[in-house]
Amino acid sequence: MLKWARTKSPWLLHFNTGACNGCDIEVVALLTPRYDVERFGIKLEPSPRHADVLVVTGPVTKQCAPRLKMIYEQMPSPKFVIAVGACACSGGIFQDCYNISGRLDEIIPVDVYIPGCPPKPEAIVQGVAKLLGKLKG
Amino acid sequence: MEKFETAVDVLKNNLADAIVELKVPRPRKAYILLKSERHRDAVSLLLKHVEESMLSTISGVDLGTEIELNYHMVCGGTVTLKNRVPREKPVTKTITDILPGANLYEREVFDLLGVVFEGHPNLERLLLPDGWPKGNYPLRRDWTPPLIQENDSGSEEDSQNNSEEDDVGSLVSVVVGPQHPVLHEPERFNFTVDGETVVDVKPRLGYVHRGIEKAAERMMYFQDVFLVERICGICNAAHTTVFCQAVEDIGNIETPPRALYLRTIVHELNRVHSHLLLLGVGGHLLGFEALFQHVWRDREPVMDIIEQITGNRLMSGFNTIGGVRRDINPNTVEKALKTVKAVRKRAVFYKNVFEEDATLRLRTEGVGVLSKEVALKLCVVGPVLRGSGVASDVRKDDPYAAYAEIPFNVPCYDECDTWARLMVRVDEVVESLNILDYAFNNLPGGRLRVRVQRKIPEGEAVSRVEAPRGELIHYVKSDGTAYPYRVKVRAPTLANLLAFPDAIRGGYIADIPSVMGSLDPCFSCTDRMAFVDTANGQKWRWSLDDVNSHKNRRVLL
Repeated sequence: MLKWARTKSPWLLHFNTGACNGCDIEVVALLTPRYDVERFGIKLEPSPRHADVLVVTGPVTKQCAPRLKMIYEQMPSPKFVIAVGACACSGGIFQDCYNISGRLDEIIPVDVYIPGCPPKPEAIVQGVAKLLGKLKG
Repeated sequence: MEKFETAVDVLKNNLADAIVELKVPRPRKAYILLKSERHRDAVSLLLKHVEESMLSTISGVDLGTEIELNYHMVCGGTVTLKNRVPREKPVTKTITDILPGANLYEREVFDLLGVVFEGHPNLERLLLPDGWPKGNYPLRRDWTPPLIQENDSGSEEDSQNNSEEDDVGSLVSVVVGPQHPVLHEPERFNFTVDGETVVDVKPRLGYVHRGIEKAAERMMYFQDVFLVERICGICNAAHTTVFCQAVEDIGNIETPPRALYLRTIVHELNRVHSHLLLLGVGGHLLGFEALFQHVWRDREPVMDIIEQITGNRLMSGFNTIGGVRRDINPNTVEKALKTVKAVRKRAVFYKNVFEEDATLRLRTEGVGVLSKEVALKLCVVGPVLRGSGVASDVRKDDPYAAYAEIPFNVPCYDECDTWARLMVRVDEVVESLNILDYAFNNLPGGRLRVRVQRKIPEGEAVSRVEAPRGELIHYVKSDGTAYPYRVKVRAPTLANLLAFPDAIRGGYIADIPSVMGSLDPCFSCTDRMAFVDTANGQKWRWSLDDVNSHKNRRVLL
């Protein structure tokens, strides 16, 4: 029952850990008429406590890392993480910068990686669909 | 043009004894080396004699034994005043008492280069993380990253708690951010409120500080184009244009006219999609969800055109030093012109909505007032400045790319409130579409780019463009190698941020989202607020929607 509910309507929490806004804009664009992911039951949710999936964009800056961990801990289990964009997947162009704490998957476990700089909204939809496929088993 | 000459003359006549070196390598660009500690006189002279002169930014450069502070003053063109301080004992006098707008820039230099500004009202950390070790200044040339312990989650909360201790009587502190789902970047704002009225606000930046200026020194010029592009995904074309211009300026590279027109086209497409984005988000922040969805739907055809021209929806990767990287074909031009026409129709419709919708006007008129005097004093830029009655636009004042040849108007409103700032953007969308129309129809032929050596000769250059959010300035210094010696970036949001406390002070909590939105910061964490009542230590949360419904209820009553 729970599994059925999750795959029918996953609630996403979006957190920017130092991105350039490129990926963030594309994530927001998902909600708007052309892509409209709400028809799949996917919804952006403001509070970590109600979210199923954490969508992270950007390389993880030192100032953001503790907050990211905190948000991840606040989410109820089972929880899933999607890394959107080259920066979240690997650190991208910023990987050696002094204020970056490291790759996202060194800080919290990641389930799906969506590469691209920024990935097209279609790619993000596909990434979420992959996650849903994984959940169905 | 005239303003710039007056500025240089004023300095020559009144400060002859303090000027060590004066260079005017290009029209509207002057570099003046002053004797140490004379920068205050120069700045006050310019403010007194040149109307509407402002400070763009302060860029610090580590020269080895000295740290050079470049005060980039805008007066028609850019007058760069140089003040050198010894590196061993980097102390100088503040200019915040003459020009309050220098506040954040001095804090930035203090944070990243360790220069102490005597007399600064709150010389505190601006960008670096809370657990950063003392005595480490990343922008000094010989600095290498130390082994820093991961800062524990407590340190961030500490600074939060400190500010809560300041609460007295009925004053309550409200923390907004850093996590927020709908919008872009994570920053934290600490509001002090008395009942419903906002008394003060303290921003904490640095959640997205990545260290790009340092990274730029490690990469070659042509690689840096891709790095600066990733400073901001929304106005990426502005960043690459301004960086390429600065490098071309140092290397005396002549960009072919077709490249200049293509740059202008991508730059304006960027502006159209950025403004539409903000207008939609503005609607969302006011609780006008339908407007948000409509505007973003109309933004998609613009994204399609950008994708067709540059190959990507957001990161264009289009500009390069010496020209542009891709050509456009007649089919694309034809399609783009059709889109321009369709979007212009919609823009006119939205202008009507913003002018006539009663709720929208009630929520925005007279809210977040920023008077012309305060705006000039705080050195705000772009649509915020134009919404406060100053018709300043880099495209007109200091034309670059193809703007000198293209006719366009600079929209300007005297209301000084949130509504005016939104209206400036609505009008600018129409203006930008007209520019696009002209540029597509008058595209000159010829080469796309000139070949450029990897090594760029020794020199320095300041370059400015009008990014969607306002004046964007890059300062590049070259030491004759293929790697830049110093790249300094001042994005428009930092300039406009200082205006936020002034605009919101005395306003209502419910106006926070709309005022912040109207400044169009590259971040907006108005989404989830934690209210802390210090009297009984009770905590509760409001989502953005709660705040909006609360406010709308009051408007309707």
